[in-house]
Amino acid sequence: MFANTKVIKDIIPPKIASAKLHNLALVLFATVMMTIPFGASPYPLTVMVDVGLYSIISMGLILFMGLAGQISLGHAAFFGCGAYISGILTTEYHIAPWLALFLAALITGSIAALIGRLIFRLHGLILAGVTLALNLVFFYLVSSLVDVTGGTMGMMNIPPLSWGQFTSQNLLFNYYLVWIVVILLLVFSLNLADSRAGRALRALNIHAGGSEYAAQVLGVNVTRYKVWVFVLSAVYASLAGSIYAHYTRIIEPNSFMVQSSAMLALMVITGGRSSPWGALLGAGLIVGLRQILRELIPALVGELSGAYELIAYGIILALMLLFLPGGLISLGRRAVPKRESSQDED
Amino acid sequence: MKTNLASLKIAMTSRKKHKKYASGTSLLEVKNVSKTFGVLTVLKNVSFSAQEGNILVIIGPNGAGKSTLLKLTSGLLPLEEGEIWFKQQRLNGLAPHYIASLGITQLFQDIQLFLNMSVIENVMVGCHLSSKTDFVSSGLRLGWAKADEKMIFKRAMSQLSLVGLKDKAFSSPISLSWGQQKLVGLARALATSADLLLLDEPYSGLLGDEIEWLNQLILGLRRQGMTIIIIEHLTDILMGIADQVIVLDHGEKIAEGTPAKIKSNKIVIDAYLGDESSKMDG
Repeated sequence: MFANTKVIKDIIPPKIASAKLHNLALVLFATVMMTIPFGASPYPLTVMVDVGLYSIISMGLILFMGLAGQISLGHAAFFGCGAYISGILTTEYHIAPWLALFLAALITGSIAALIGRLIFRLHGLILAGVTLALNLVFFYLVSSLVDVTGGTMGMMNIPPLSWGQFTSQNLLFNYYLVWIVVILLLVFSLNLADSRAGRALRALNIHAGGSEYAAQVLGVNVTRYKVWVFVLSAVYASLAGSIYAHYTRIIEPNSFMVQSSAMLALMVITGGRSSPWGALLGAGLIVGLRQILRELIPALVGELSGAYELIAYGIILALMLLFLPGGLISLGRRAVPKRESSQDED
Repeated sequence: MKTNLASLKIAMTSRKKHKKYASGTSLLEVKNVSKTFGVLTVLKNVSFSAQEGNILVIIGPNGAGKSTLLKLTSGLLPLEEGEIWFKQQRLNGLAPHYIASLGITQLFQDIQLFLNMSVIENVMVGCHLSSKTDFVSSGLRLGWAKADEKMIFKRAMSQLSLVGLKDKAFSSPISLSWGQQKLVGLARALATSADLLLLDEPYSGLLGDEIEWLNQLILGLRRQGMTIIIIEHLTDILMGIADQVIVLDHGEKIAEGTPAKIKSNKIVIDAYLGDESSKMDG
């Protein structure tokens, strides 16, 4: 009737430990992330900012792909939407960067809602194809609208985000900004996964043992939930895009190509689709690997790593799907005792 | 599985009684419903009504169109020909989740439990309509969302107690026997507080005492005013609890009446019951 039960066991959602243990892990994680910058050199901090940004997008994708079982190969477009809308609002309309960040999230969310209403009658590979096409449309749109977006040359001199005397030109400021957002969204996502809305999303995940038929006869508005989780994941991506734009201050279409979307999907699969924690693991693994490959490959073959990186990602994806379909998070789940009650936090 | 019928009796008495819709009227009316899949006609001009607080049993051989009829009622299949009315509201064209919100739910023949959730979470999805918490309030874990979650948990637990599976609340559905999975599916359906329960072959795969347990549960639900439509093959078990029986054959209604009337109906005996009894004898 359903898929392989071993796979299902691996992707059973975050009932991994007692609520207290879970909260403790969160506090511990937040403490570690907040103390990392002390004594760290700029290079690892720059990498960690990248990990944080990709974690934000992947977390949204985990809600969409892992929890609700939908497929997207176009989320880099929403990442780009956030970046470009923030960029345009601040450089062309001189809107304050923080306000631009929120407006970008609002506009991106509205675009996602509009698209979602149109595409969520589709399933599986067709849905994946449509999201891929949307990413291509976005790419060619921002490349063509030279007057608005700067075309392939991109946008420059995007003003930084600032807080008092600190601005996002400062690496430490960026690090804390990104990781505070990661932690807040992690808490939000974990709460969501273990709630009425989270259960409704899991109920329609046909790839992990859910059933849209059963969800519907129990009163779950399947289309509405798909659209909402799509919007939420787009808002996550938009937030990351805006922070990225104000951090790098230069954006260009290549950062938001289909390859970026594929890499995001890879982060979700390698980290683990069943829990928002998987986003952090996946982003950490792929960004870390990218840094290693970029240094290792030129030293070994005397060429830039570009194509070799893609080969490496392909191999990792194949190995993960074969030997660890639940992603890195499923390793931890096997080590932690099962949660006794979902109500013991009360 | 706990098969203690006394404990079922206690659990049933603590269950809330159904609010009466309008006495003496039909809760569900099916009018001239036909359904075709391509060139195959599955249902031909079927009409019947289900009275409130009654158990209506629909029997018929494989391919008679029984499951299709239930799916048309719950909105899972589009209704192109004929009409279905529930509480004097036309169901044609309504989405299944909306029909569920009107008070109709279904237990599938293959149960379709959510295997990516624990048993209690499955039943908590059944309470979906009793809460309004959304993405934001859930994500921020606002006070009222927490209170709602607690209420849903308690309701789900009481439904699990009703089917005698409270001790399996935190198990995975995969670890349960087929019979236990059926009962979880039933608890999940009951958690919706529906007025009309559609049961698609609920007895299939159940063993002796499990069948008796389910019989008592269904009778208890009827006593509380719930309307139940059952489609099944096990005719002699159902004849004992049915108020009204409809017989389908090749998509057509060939008989309707009380169990006693159906048992003595020659057309039914020729088309179905005779065949069933000879199988049982064999």
